[in-house]
Amino acid sequence: MNLFLQEDVLGFARALVQRSPAHETEVSVAGVQDSFVRFGAQGPSQNADRERAEVSIRVRLKEGEGYREARATCGSLADADADAALGRALALARVSEPNAELPPLGGAVNVPETAAQRPTMDHSFREKAKAVGRALEACRAQDLLPAGLFQTTALSRGLVNSAGREVFGARSRASFALTASSGAPDGSGLSGEGSGFAESISDNVERVDTQGVVERAVAKAVSSRAPRALAAGEYTVVLEPAAVSSLLLFAAYHGFGAQEVSERSSLLCGRIGETLFPEELTLVDDAANPVYSGFSFDGEGAPRQRAVLLSGGRLGQPVTDARWSKKLGVANTGHGKQQPTTDGPSPENLILAPGAASRENLIAGVERGLLVTQFHYTNMIEPLDLVLTGMTRNGTYWIEGGEVQHPVRNLRFTQSLVGALQAVTGIGREQEVAGALFDGELVAPAVRIDGFRFTSSTDF
Amino acid sequence: MMDIARSAVEAALSGGADYADARVTRLSCEELVVRNGSLGSAEAPEDMGIGVRVLKDGAWGFGALPLGRAVGLEGGQRAGADAARRAVRSAAALAPMRSEPVRLAGNEGHVDEYSTPLEIDPFGISLEDKVGLLRLADESMSGADETVVRESSLSLRREEQWHASSEGAALHQVLVRSGAGIATTAAAHGQVERRSHPASFGGNYKCAGWEHVLDMDLVEHGPRVRDESVALCSAPACPEGKRTLILGGSQLMLQIHESVGHPTELDRVYGDEVDLAGSSFLTTDKLASFRYGSELVNLVADSTVAGGLDTRGFDDECVPSGRWPIVKDGMFTGYLTGREWAERVGEEKSRGSSRAEGWYNPPIVRITNLSLMPGSWAFEDLLADTEDGAIYADTVRMWSIDQRRLNFQFTCEAAWEIQGGKLGRLLRRPTYQGSTPEFWAGCDAICDASSWELWGVPNCGKGNPMQVAEMSHGASPARFRNVSFVGSEA
Repeated sequence: MNLFLQEDVLGFARALVQRSPAHETEVSVAGVQDSFVRFGAQGPSQNADRERAEVSIRVRLKEGEGYREARATCGSLADADADAALGRALALARVSEPNAELPPLGGAVNVPETAAQRPTMDHSFREKAKAVGRALEACRAQDLLPAGLFQTTALSRGLVNSAGREVFGARSRASFALTASSGAPDGSGLSGEGSGFAESISDNVERVDTQGVVERAVAKAVSSRAPRALAAGEYTVVLEPAAVSSLLLFAAYHGFGAQEVSERSSLLCGRIGETLFPEELTLVDDAANPVYSGFSFDGEGAPRQRAVLLSGGRLGQPVTDARWSKKLGVANTGHGKQQPTTDGPSPENLILAPGAASRENLIAGVERGLLVTQFHYTNMIEPLDLVLTGMTRNGTYWIEGGEVQHPVRNLRFTQSLVGALQAVTGIGREQEVAGALFDGELVAPAVRIDGFRFTSSTDF
Repeated sequence: MMDIARSAVEAALSGGADYADARVTRLSCEELVVRNGSLGSAEAPEDMGIGVRVLKDGAWGFGALPLGRAVGLEGGQRAGADAARRAVRSAAALAPMRSEPVRLAGNEGHVDEYSTPLEIDPFGISLEDKVGLLRLADESMSGADETVVRESSLSLRREEQWHASSEGAALHQVLVRSGAGIATTAAAHGQVERRSHPASFGGNYKCAGWEHVLDMDLVEHGPRVRDESVALCSAPACPEGKRTLILGGSQLMLQIHESVGHPTELDRVYGDEVDLAGSSFLTTDKLASFRYGSELVNLVADSTVAGGLDTRGFDDECVPSGRWPIVKDGMFTGYLTGREWAERVGEEKSRGSSRAEGWYNPPIVRITNLSLMPGSWAFEDLLADTEDGAIYADTVRMWSIDQRRLNFQFTCEAAWEIQGGKLGRLLRRPTYQGSTPEFWAGCDAICDASSWELWGVPNCGKGNPMQVAEMSHGASPARFRNVSFVGSEA
């Protein structure tokens, strides 16, 4: 079976739904083709070419006004494995209690077609080697240690349920990232005296700017050598897209879902409809965005709707799934996970709208402050104001009089995201796809924020 | 299955590999969560596949493909040969770019079997009994209007592995991991506070059977967890400033993991993890000469300790499990290594700390079970010996540490102010910050073996692409002087 052919995937899922004795059944099939080259100081350190599949079977047994519900998965497309998973799902469903809050499975829908990009699927190790070679050479020329990853992935998803829903889609992802660091490759370790990071992510490997990544990462590493100490305190910051990403993704994890709002644990609690932020701030979740698209349906096969989370500084409604849509009596925005799960709906394709400023304009507007390339290990202390902490990384610079002056040693921040967004004074016009240490990616420009709170410093 | 693994190794060698190993791994799980009175998540995943790793011309290559549970020898051999071909092809394409060939320490051609010792096979317990226990735990946490989430969870995993190598290894291992826990979240007075038992993020996990689940007394602790989460919402914030801190074991576990475990991974020291997880301040010149902490601090790596989540017969490079000191009497004495990295520092053999997530990933250096050895204090005596205003804090809420593993900031679920040698008022959201060696240097008392417990970490992320691994950290409460508490309000 070809996991990237709609008829193969839906035919398999349809047959399994038909074999199920449950009152309602939903079968999801996912496929992954992945290859990557990881590299370090001695060159390529891991090279992998791999595939996997997942068959997920959700069954429901009707009882009274509710459903007993459970799920089982297997990593094989063999009928015997799928039937065994169906048996496990049924056994689990029988010990669950009827849940009257669950709506019936959704019926037929139309979703936009999405496809994996052929150049990304066909990308070879020899092609990856060329970009890796350029990174190694550029680092060597500047006496820097390279570390990075060139990865190409194709993903497919199909879903069939007993209510007549059949959806299929595919997408691809390609990324090239380089971290260049000062130090010696002999185990005496990284000096910590300067490092630079850059990454390019696209659904089409031909749009991944490998040369630009090498140039930017190496330039940052060189320019961040000999950083000076800086005391912790409140500073105006210009955050590049990678740094913006590691903050905003926490709003995706914890802030904009209906479950967190209902459980009084979201930044939206008591704030929906309020204009709390500068009017330049607009944040949407949009799987169909042209910069970096996602799957057009969610874990239950519901069409992913464009959700306006923040528009002109005004907070919008949380995203929902079938269960929360029924519970709250609002529309299903199509942001559900595979069910059943204890996780609520959440945005997965965040886009922070661009502003009008160039990167130079953003920096020029800072009298005394910092330019931050990336944050490391950001984590959440408190959910209502989204108080976060993390470290600067891979290029932090002192700005004075509107110009970058010199690199500074890394700092830890402890800052509420709500407060940070309220203090945004400029938004860049160039968007990038960026990720973070934990899961997820989004599209964001650079932003300038006043009074960003750094709470401790380092000696590197 | 061993024949399929051996066949894949042969296919790799025939294809030009200089070294090959193949792991067939089958994972069976039950994941159950009762949330706010109903079975909110009931999953039974199964997954099986083959991962083939090769060295060709001094470069690594890796190929991986899924297998069906009922795969026959012929089908398995076909998949193994395909995975081997992918591995050799990827290594061959990248080998010319290596500045030096990968070399492996030791020769690990072991033939052996290993199984997690179980008193009660958790997969032999009926689903009704499992869900019944979780429902009782859920009910025990009910009764407070302020409670917005009650969760009782159970995670059972059985990992079976057949591992063959071109050095002659043929290893069959069955690892069973059991975990369970309860947690409540309360929202009141503008605060959202969680309490968990016996640890946060799913409770405590061990390589053990159902007996471990029963030992945790989930139902008995429900009312306390509920009441503490509610009380935290109106408790004063933990004050800022320098104070003495006594950490409970389930928080000290995180401290060990982040500020000792990760920096002692040798691949970080060489910079090969700097692209995502970060590097380490523990450069090789510090081995045997760097003071990590006070003389009381002894930290031991041990992949043989009973119940450890990484207790096994062999790692994923066929290296036997072992026990060795990482910090001895406060001095840094050893790294966590895999075969490639042991060779780099001139060690004859790997320490056996190289593992992969399932069949789909190549192995990387991992923290194994790593524990702070017990000291001599009874917990009550330690409290009695500690000045008024000191803080006792426990249970992980939030963690963050820098890319070199020096500057950390951790928040616990709860703290109590010590008054008159006893635990006094409850304090909300204790957040402490420090630098790794200074923090461990401040350790001046460690409780004895009677309060020592092994705490499981089921979700340690590392690598790029990221992989998840499991390990345990043993600890009893310990006291640290001059710790900085910082504000955590908006």
